[in-house]
Amino acid sequence: MPMYGDLGNKLVQHAKRTQNLTHLPPYQAELVRSVAREVRDLDKDVASMLEPFQGSFDPSAHQAMACTLLVNHLSMRRNKRCLLAYHRTRTDKLEELVWSGYDVLDLSAQQTAGEEDYVRQYGDLLAAYKGQWTDIDLTGSLEPPRDLFIDVRVLKDAGEIQTEYGAINLTKNSQFYVRQGDVERLIAQGYLQKLA
Amino acid sequence: MSYYDIDSILTDAEKIPCTFQLDIPDLGYLDNNPSHTLKSGTRIQLPLWLAEMLAIANTGSLDEQAKSFVTFDLPSALGNDVVQALKADPRAVPLRDQSPHFYGLATHMMDLSEEQELAAVLRKTFVTRASEIALHARKVGGANQHGAKGQADEASNLGVGGAGEEFLRGLDEWERKLFRKAHDGTRAGKEWMDSVKKR
Repeated sequence: MPMYGDLGNKLVQHAKRTQNLTHLPPYQAELVRSVAREVRDLDKDVASMLEPFQGSFDPSAHQAMACTLLVNHLSMRRNKRCLLAYHRTRTDKLEELVWSGYDVLDLSAQQTAGEEDYVRQYGDLLAAYKGQWTDIDLTGSLEPPRDLFIDVRVLKDAGEIQTEYGAINLTKNSQFYVRQGDVERLIAQGYLQKLA
Repeated sequence: MSYYDIDSILTDAEKIPCTFQLDIPDLGYLDNNPSHTLKSGTRIQLPLWLAEMLAIANTGSLDEQAKSFVTFDLPSALGNDVVQALKADPRAVPLRDQSPHFYGLATHMMDLSEEQELAAVLRKTFVTRASEIALHARKVGGANQHGAKGQADEASNLGVGGAGEEFLRGLDEWERKLFRKAHDGTRAGKEWMDSVKKR
């Protein structure tokens, strides 16, 4: 039997799955809309039930109605919690992806316009925060490097980068011997592959 | 247990048996019977998020025996059969079959009712099972030491074989987290030791 709150529960199950994924699954627009619609319907019911009382409802005189109102209220509150938790799970995931240096454009297929905006602004915040310590890359790898220089192969064209030893033009399928610190970001973003 | 905690929200969706204490015309749909009055004395399975507040709120009547809208019983996951089985051997009961959020449900019920004996059984259950979980988590991590390196090795050892596999399948969500933490901890410890030796 479908009940108030069932749709919200479905949304939270999606959130639970999202937590265990490394990427962001598609936004459940239809489900979110349905839950929001359920809240509006419940609110309408409450309003029409209370209307004849003109603001002077006495719960002890109308116990059955008081109970119905409570059930409606609790259902709305439940739906609100489900909606908030679902979106929070997604923004947590997005923040995680921003920290791990994913390219924002790679994500955009799965997210809504609002989320895209969130990622951009969060990215700006993170950049401003990192800007305070120019000599440390806060999102860099925590693994201490074994070698200062490494061999890399270029997987996608990445244009020209500036290094201490001059400019390198990263064209697809070319191979370079470079300083690890210079290319760490590009490896994380999938432009380069580290060769053993 | 924060407001946004996904597992806590899912725990609140677990259902418990409730009995309505008064006739309510508009709630027939809860008993799969819209357009009919929900009669006093009807027993329905309600999710915790609904049952809890309905049981706590009272009807607002001013007379002596102000009663709540519903009374509730312990869910079958905490029923006598399960409790007896837990008393006999906590490790032999697949908690997950009772409820994926067994402990969440149980602690919630403990908040709502005072069942000293049940609380004691549950406490003992967790402690006994926790040490068993730790044991399995170490075994899984330890197997990696002897085998060569690699994910495949680790994956094939995750089963641990017969009885262990059975036990691990019966873990509830909380215990699964515990297992994962114990397992990751053991492995991280070993990795660190290895890297120290190499230098």
